[in-house]
Amino acid sequence: MVVHPTMPKNNGRQEPRLDTLQSIELAEGVEIHLRMAGPYVRVLAYLLDLLIRGGVSIGVGLLLLLAGTILGFNVAMGLNMLLSFFLMFFYYVFFEAGKRGASPGKRMMGLRVVDTSGAPISFGQSFVRNMLRFADGMPIPFYGFGLLSTLMTRRFQRLGDLLANTVVVYDRLPNLHMAALPPVLESRAPGVPLTREEQAALAGFRERGGMWSEARRIELADHASDLSGATGVTGMTRLLGMAHWLGEKH
Amino acid sequence: MQGKEFEEKNAQRWAAYEQTLDALEKRAQGVDVSGLPSMFREICTDLALARHRMYGMPMNERLNTLVIRGHKIIHRRAGGTWEKLLRFMAVDFPVAVRAEWRLLLVATLTFVLPMLGVALAGFYWPDFSWVEVVLGPEMMGSLDNMYGSSDRQIANLRAEYGSNFMMFCHYIMNNIGIDFRIYAGGILACLGSLFFLFYNGIYFGAVIAYIHVACSTEAFYTFVAGHSSFELIAMVIAGMAGLRIGLGLLNPGRKTLRRSLMDAGRRSLPLIFGAALMTFVAAGIEGFWSAQDLPPMVKYATGITLWVLVIFYLAFAGRRAGGRSRAA
Repeated sequence: MVVHPTMPKNNGRQEPRLDTLQSIELAEGVEIHLRMAGPYVRVLAYLLDLLIRGGVSIGVGLLLLLAGTILGFNVAMGLNMLLSFFLMFFYYVFFEAGKRGASPGKRMMGLRVVDTSGAPISFGQSFVRNMLRFADGMPIPFYGFGLLSTLMTRRFQRLGDLLANTVVVYDRLPNLHMAALPPVLESRAPGVPLTREEQAALAGFRERGGMWSEARRIELADHASDLSGATGVTGMTRLLGMAHWLGEKH
Repeated sequence: MQGKEFEEKNAQRWAAYEQTLDALEKRAQGVDVSGLPSMFREICTDLALARHRMYGMPMNERLNTLVIRGHKIIHRRAGGTWEKLLRFMAVDFPVAVRAEWRLLLVATLTFVLPMLGVALAGFYWPDFSWVEVVLGPEMMGSLDNMYGSSDRQIANLRAEYGSNFMMFCHYIMNNIGIDFRIYAGGILACLGSLFFLFYNGIYFGAVIAYIHVACSTEAFYTFVAGHSSFELIAMVIAGMAGLRIGLGLLNPGRKTLRRSLMDAGRRSLPLIFGAALMTFVAAGIEGFWSAQDLPPMVKYATGITLWVLVIFYLAFAGRRAGGRSRAA
C-alpha cells in the first residue's frame, strides 16, 4: 500500500526523516524548508558572543574610567554596572528581537532565531528564550541542561527555545559544493515505489556525487543496500542508475 | 533540460521580486510594494512546482530562500510600543497577577513564612550563633555600618557626589538580576524559584532579627520603608513567573509537553516584565529617596502610602478593561 506522504500517521507524530530539514507550510500553501542549526555551530556562536561581550565590557570600562575623571568616579562606576547588567541580560534579547534576528556571534556563523512557523520572533519570545539561558547554562559552565534538551528534541531546541517556541536556523543559503556525476549507462527502475523524499535523496546523491571520493560514495551507497540489493561498487552503480531513471521520467 | 527552461522563463520575474526584497530589507524609502503580495504568491507556486518536478537542489534552495525572505517581510510585526507599554502597566500586568492568584499565594507564603519564622525566633532566643551562620560576619559588619546607630549613617555614606546614582545602578543590576534568576530557576521543576524565595525569606528574617537586637531599628525602617513595597512584591511576582513555567513542565494536563511549555512561557511573560519594571521603580526609590535625611514620620508615611497604593493597584487596576477584552 502506498501511503500518501501528507496523510497523518501515528496520531499526527511525524515519521523519522532522512535529514534535519524542517518543512513548514505557509498560509500561501507552499512548504518552506528551514535548516536547523545543531549544537556545534551554536556553541561556536556562543563563544564569539562571549568574546564580543568581554571586549565591549573591557573597552567601554576603560573609557568610563577616563570619563570618570570628568563625570566623577561614582557616576562612572554606576554606568559601568548598568553596562554589565545590559551585557549580561539584554545583549541577546535586543539583538535577537531586532531586524536581523541574531546576536553578532550568530550572524557571523550565519545563524538566525525564528519562530517555529518561520516568522521573525517578537520581543517577548526573545526575552523568554534568553532569560532561560541561566537555567540552560547549568551546571555552569557546561550548558548541561541546554545541551541535553538540544539533543533530545527534533528541532535542536534548548529549554528557552521550547518555552519561547523558537528555533535557531541557518539564515544564508548554504554553500552548495555540487558536482554531479556523469550519467551512468544503465538506467534502472527501483524495485519498490519510493516516496518523494526518497526520490529526492537519490537525486541529491547523484547531484553531489562528484565531490566525494569513490570510497566515500560506496560507503554512502551501502546505507541503501536494501534498495539496490547489493553492496560495494555494484550497489552504487545501481543507485545511480535509479537516480538516472527517476530523472528521465520527469 | 526542463529545469533550465523554467529558470529562463521566470528569471526576470524572480529578479524583480528579489530587487524589491533587497530594497525593503535595507529599509529603503519609497519602494513600490503594491505588487509584492502577488509576486510572493507566484514565487510560492514556483517553489512548489520546482520541488514537485525535482528541478534539483540549487534551484529549490534559491526559491526556498526567496520565499523565506518574502515571508519575513510580509509578516513583519507592527510597532505601537509605547501604547502597548502603557496598556501593559494599566491593564495586562495587574490582570495577569490576579489571574494567577494561587501562584501568588504559594510564592508569598514561601517567602513570608521563613522570614517571619526566623525573625520571631531571633526575638525570642537572641542567640546569635545561627544568625551569624546565615548572614556571615561580613554582612553583619556592613549592617552595623549602615544601621548601627540612629545618627544618619546612611545619609553620610551617600554624601559623596554621584553615590546616589551609583547605588541606583547597583540596585538595578543586583535586584533585577535576582528577579531574572528566580524566574529562570522555575524551569527546574519549580525548585529554583522556590529555593530562591525560601532562601531570601530566611536571609531577610535574619537581617531583621539582627537589626532588632544589635542596631537601630529606626535607621533600618526609615531606610527600607520607601522601596520595600515595590521590591518585595516584585520579587514574589518573579517567583510566580518561575512557578508558572515550572508548572508547564510538571503539569501539562491534556496538552502535549511541547504545547504546555509554549503556553507557560507566554503566560509567564507579563509577570516577569511587570516584576522587572517594579524592581526598576524600587531601585529608583532606593537610590534617590530612601537615604535622604528626612524626619522619620515622613519616611514612614511615604512607605505606608506606597504599600497601600501598590496593593490597590494590583487588586483593582484594569478590572473593567480586562473584563472587556475577555468578553470581546
